[in-house]
Amino acid sequence: MSISRRTLLRNTAALGAFAGAGLPHIWIKNADLAFAAGGEIKVGVLFSLTGTTAIIEESLNKATLLAIEEINAAGGIKGSKIVPIVEDPASDPATFSEKARKLVVGDKCVSVFGSYTSASRKAVLPVFERQNNLYWYPTLYEGRECSKNVIYTGAVPNQQQDEFVPWLVKKFGKKFYLIGSNYIYPKEENNYCKKLLEKLGGEVVAEEYVPLGHSEFSSVINKIRSTQPNVIFSTVVGDSVVALHRQYKAAGLDPEKMPMASLTTSENEVAAMGGEAAAGHFTSAPYFMVHKSPENEKFVEAYKKRWGADKVTHFVSEACYFQTYLFKQAVEKLATSDLTPPNIRDAVKGQEVIAPQGKVRIEPENLHTWLWPKIAQAKSNGQFEILVEAKEWLKPVPYAAYPGQSCTEKGLVEKS
Amino acid sequence: MPSHVPNSSGLQRLIAQLAPLLIVCAVVFALPVLLNNDFLLNKVARYLVLGILTVSLGLSWGFGGILNLGQAMSFGLGSYAMAMALKLKTVPVHTGASGLPDFMVWNNVQHLPWFWEPFRSLTFAIAAGLIVPALVAAALGWFMFRGRVTGVYVSIITLATMVVINLVIIDQQSYTGGFNGITDLAQLEIFGVAFDAYGRATYYLVASCVLLSLLVAFAFTRTKAGLIVQAIRDHESRVRYFGYDVALYQIFVFALSAAIAGLAGMLYTVVMEFASPTFLGVQLSLSVVVWCAVGGRQSLVGAFLGAVLVAGMQGALSESAAFLETWTLVMGALFVLVVLFLPKGLAGLAQVVLRWIALRRHAAAGGVAQGVGQTEGST
Repeated sequence: MSISRRTLLRNTAALGAFAGAGLPHIWIKNADLAFAAGGEIKVGVLFSLTGTTAIIEESLNKATLLAIEEINAAGGIKGSKIVPIVEDPASDPATFSEKARKLVVGDKCVSVFGSYTSASRKAVLPVFERQNNLYWYPTLYEGRECSKNVIYTGAVPNQQQDEFVPWLVKKFGKKFYLIGSNYIYPKEENNYCKKLLEKLGGEVVAEEYVPLGHSEFSSVINKIRSTQPNVIFSTVVGDSVVALHRQYKAAGLDPEKMPMASLTTSENEVAAMGGEAAAGHFTSAPYFMVHKSPENEKFVEAYKKRWGADKVTHFVSEACYFQTYLFKQAVEKLATSDLTPPNIRDAVKGQEVIAPQGKVRIEPENLHTWLWPKIAQAKSNGQFEILVEAKEWLKPVPYAAYPGQSCTEKGLVEKS
Repeated sequence: MPSHVPNSSGLQRLIAQLAPLLIVCAVVFALPVLLNNDFLLNKVARYLVLGILTVSLGLSWGFGGILNLGQAMSFGLGSYAMAMALKLKTVPVHTGASGLPDFMVWNNVQHLPWFWEPFRSLTFAIAAGLIVPALVAAALGWFMFRGRVTGVYVSIITLATMVVINLVIIDQQSYTGGFNGITDLAQLEIFGVAFDAYGRATYYLVASCVLLSLLVAFAFTRTKAGLIVQAIRDHESRVRYFGYDVALYQIFVFALSAAIAGLAGMLYTVVMEFASPTFLGVQLSLSVVVWCAVGGRQSLVGAFLGAVLVAGMQGALSESAAFLETWTLVMGALFVLVVLFLPKGLAGLAQVVLRWIALRRHAAAGGVAQGVGQTEGST
């Protein structure tokens, strides 16, 4: 009898100890804060600081914080300071979703800047659409998305390829070898590339996809040798970019005759592989670190001063930087009492800012960005040399490969 | 042995053993009253789901002695079953009239694949979320346990199988959404009740499943089969010499554990509003082992609380400005300490502490009596 009572007692107390220790993370916050209370505008900064994509996402975190610090140092937005709430989603889609909820519902951020991969953007999308908040996505991506809750400031396929593919055909020839990582982004880019090649009378000698993180390209290089394409059109991402370039060089292939043309190789990847391996290959993007403009000189100098002289800027971190300024301009247009995510979305439509790459503009129809395509060649010093600059900014067409569909303010529209 | 003790005492013992379980569940059910915040409820619901997953591992590892490093495989299968059903219920805004899930259109799929068809029925999907993981586990278990594979080889095989399924899901993106997973889902609706991820209905659904899975797992450990499974854990060949079909019992506990993990996976999709290949990734799968070890693998309630506690702490640490840069380090150090100094996890620690308190009280009661005696003696 007494033993069983003691067991009961002991177990009950064990439970109490557990419950007490188990709940320190639960606290009740003031849930009724307005979006701009006490001269503070809270925004979320959601880039991975740990995990597989941490290296690139850390640079996005830094570029965003730099812009916020600059804006605050210059007096904030109409006297209100931007308060960044930094979270670490640890390169994991589920954690992205959890932190997005915390920022949007818990902290009542008026906007969140975040994501590098499409997978993480897709994971947070339900949060922003359901809460009608605003997500600022800086990365180039595959297009085919038409959300009213995302501002897309990276390039979509037409902005990277419309100029690039004809230029490659003219300069090197019509035989393309398409190589990409096995997920939706490379497949969509290649869909669009094939459409362009069809118009130009080009030929695809092979279309191949390797698993994400793949680092063994000897069979691919053998196939390249046997098919002898004029251009290797590459959309591999992450560590695979580094491996592909190094093994290409080790195999003794010549960029003069058979260059790689990439949509994903930035200064960041070049720094990881070493300039020697990258030298001679081409990238198409709206921004390169060497671009000459007063705004870019200021950006590069400020970035190095804040985060270290050895740091590089690249086409995604540049977008992080200018989208924060677009956010500032949109908020400036609103009265403090009107500061809500949907109002910011309406205010940012048609906004223009002089970014490091040139003057950019948010397209009111689809919330993507007018950008300045450029073609550049990598040099052995780790930088690029810009060979072609667009004479005009280019409209974002997220459904460029699908003439039957277009993204409008009312959402996706099917043309019959 | 319960059969050897008189009935009333056996009942009391049962109540005593059930008490922590029931009290934990009472706290879980009472939480919405204390926490008047949808966002926090949603967050706690997520931790509770991970708790159910950890209970399922506690069952096979702590009681069956089968260290399944691929526990997230069953979890992921359940999660995809639910996501497929909810995906088919979304209005296909992004794909127009054809009504195919958006990622299939992106991958130029013309018709809904045959294995997606039955998921139009939610009942089928829920059944599949339980049965498919159980069947996969049973088949895997049949090969392993019939072949008398034990110990570390079981762990390697389960881990490898999970990685294979994970790679297949990532590779077959026309049918699975690939790396992005299945996103943009409809809300779960059962008997007219909509389970909004932030709503109380979802929280109570998860809480009920916590209660259900803890009770099922507890009940199993009390049955004869459950006792034999524990005997197999402690001395496999001795049980075999008694004439028991060891493999059969192992397969059963393995499959039961997978079904509970599948249930957790389905709930995870409802709470997170998407399914992703990372749900059956190595990282999550190993985290579950850690949670289970921290909580105490031989206690179901311990395993459950281990997951809720550690996942909650992880969330809180990574959100505090002070630990933003170092939270992974702090977590790592904690795990090392627990493994080194608390082999039975926090449940073991709680037992030791309580025994010590009970002894002290006993001693103190004796000491007071003695003291009183002395005082009386001196006056």
